[in-house]
Amino acid sequence: MKTATLNKSDIGKCIDLLVQADLRVIAPRLQPQLDEDGPDSIDVLTFTEVKSGDDHQVGEGLLPLNGVKEFLFAKHEPLFAYEKRGKKIEIIPVHHEYPQTVIIGVRPCDAASIASLESVFSDANAGFEDPFFTERRSRTTFITYSCTAPDSSCFCTSVNLSPDSAKGSDLHLTEIGDGRLHVEVITKAGEAVAKQLQDLLEGEGDRGAREKAGAEVTEKLTRIRDSAPIMDWLMDTANFDDEMWQRLGEKCIGCGACTFVCPTCHCFDIVDENKGSKGYRVKFWDSCQFDHFTLHASGHNPRDWQYKRYRNRFNCKFKIYPEKFETPGCVGCGRCIRACPVNLDITEYMAEVAHKAANPNAMKADPDFE
Amino acid sequence: MIEQIRNQARLLLENGDVDVVIGYAEGSDPTRTTPVFIRKAEDVDKLIYDPRCINSLPLYLNKRHEYTRKGWKKTAIIGKGCDIRAIVQLIAENQLKRDEIYILGVPCEGVVSHPEKWDGSLHDGNRASKCTDCDVMTPHETDFFPGDKPDIDRSNPYEATSKNVATLMELELDKRFAFWRTDFDRCFKCYACREVCPHCSCNVCITDETTPSWIDPAAHKKGIFSWHLTRAMHLVGRCTGCGECTRACPMGIQVDLFNQRMKEVVQESYSYKPGYSLEDKHPLITYKVDDREDFIK
Repeated sequence: MKTATLNKSDIGKCIDLLVQADLRVIAPRLQPQLDEDGPDSIDVLTFTEVKSGDDHQVGEGLLPLNGVKEFLFAKHEPLFAYEKRGKKIEIIPVHHEYPQTVIIGVRPCDAASIASLESVFSDANAGFEDPFFTERRSRTTFITYSCTAPDSSCFCTSVNLSPDSAKGSDLHLTEIGDGRLHVEVITKAGEAVAKQLQDLLEGEGDRGAREKAGAEVTEKLTRIRDSAPIMDWLMDTANFDDEMWQRLGEKCIGCGACTFVCPTCHCFDIVDENKGSKGYRVKFWDSCQFDHFTLHASGHNPRDWQYKRYRNRFNCKFKIYPEKFETPGCVGCGRCIRACPVNLDITEYMAEVAHKAANPNAMKADPDFE
Repeated sequence: MIEQIRNQARLLLENGDVDVVIGYAEGSDPTRTTPVFIRKAEDVDKLIYDPRCINSLPLYLNKRHEYTRKGWKKTAIIGKGCDIRAIVQLIAENQLKRDEIYILGVPCEGVVSHPEKWDGSLHDGNRASKCTDCDVMTPHETDFFPGDKPDIDRSNPYEATSKNVATLMELELDKRFAFWRTDFDRCFKCYACREVCPHCSCNVCITDETTPSWIDPAAHKKGIFSWHLTRAMHLVGRCTGCGECTRACPMGIQVDLFNQRMKEVVQESYSYKPGYSLEDKHPLITYKVDDREDFIK
């Protein structure tokens, strides 16, 4: 594997070079606020297209509020247009732009999530390919950046990742002190980008310093859970009606914040946006937390109560996903914990399951919930 | 203070006067608290109250949460003044009966605007702006209140709005529109703004209607704008200003600026602020023969 070093202060120049090469560059960027220092204002860091190297927060802050998901799996997109002429309906293809893109400043958890999306949208074994996703994926290169300051919601080490992991990365950067970055070329796409940045890259990297930096940051994680027993516990169908689901989940209010900020959640809906005799068939993000997600036409709803919807989300991450694919269902980014308006915390479920798995004879049902 | 609340909650549960006490408990992180439903007297020590208790708990009294409320005949709820305004408003809108609810009022010194701004104390840098001009820090409608309730004049119909409302209103129309275009670009329609709102009480929200589909469900500009503007209009004269929609937004969009602006309009036109009287109907669902009508041009 090729390595090099880069001055952290040259990241802006890297962005400029990539923009000059006619690439769409996406980077973490602080969004302007009406009242920057106002008591109600918070830092709004998001992945956004940047046009110049003066305007980015690569390596600063922790995680952008949005993940990189929306650049591969669009929030909404038309599948095709249609028009009714007499008794015939004509299907009209819609032109999509898939610009060559570099996303820089991606944290390791987000990078690991790309493979999880691929499992769903372009898994050869599943025999299905989402052309919109695969087109975007094939034109997107990820420059990742090891974490330096995880917060109290981060839990990547609990799901077999680490704050300096290069999984899913094309070109990986790690701070090694003195304003220097250790650069690792991981894939061919990464090599192509490295070539464009070659004037800024110097000599060999410092693997020792990189490993040391990674280990130091890993030490800073405080939210540590044992995810090993979760899948087996969920596989036991008796636990599907465990008292825990309602006890922990009854405060859930049924918004989709956790699923929309989640880098691996991928459910979508399709509707016809009709105008007179023509319109578009549109695909857009949906959430299993919405009450009408499983509502049948008959009026019956198998997930009639909010806690059952959250049970589905947890099962999706830790049972359905690993059962079907080899990629992680949860990458431990902690976004769902930060975003939840009522502090419903996925790691509390993880801890509870680990506890129950270790104490199989503990009370199964709480009479108060029957 | 919290000891008195806990004792009262314990008494209510022991005597079977209520089935559940809705309150706040420590969250999973030192900066956060979480809503909690206490059903057993021995659990009342979980209840806490401090400036981190941001959530507007009356949302759980809303009919939307009928499943959660299944089997609760009488509910006790811990309320700071602004939450109690929401309860009063729900009662005034016939969404709730006063005798179904036992209100444990708490004295409030203001709450933090976002959990991530909590640094151990409440100060000008992190106190939610809604708390600046609050006249219900000693709440108005309670069944239990620790200590004496001082007499407070709450007759002034004008509440301050956030500085940001004025900043926006000073902008020219196209710049104001540009602001919302940029901010709404982040919206992905998770509906956290709707779900935290104590006043969104429709069985089926207009945005979830499919026959016909009034509002495009996709998160494109049209779908986003029509959702947020409809939401703002549906809350005119009803919004009690808890600010939860903005606090809950995972993308940091200040959606409550619409509601605050509409609050100003209602105050200017009708000298009315919602959530103070159990009987008053809000101005847009009633009429008076002697209405000024000077807004009809």
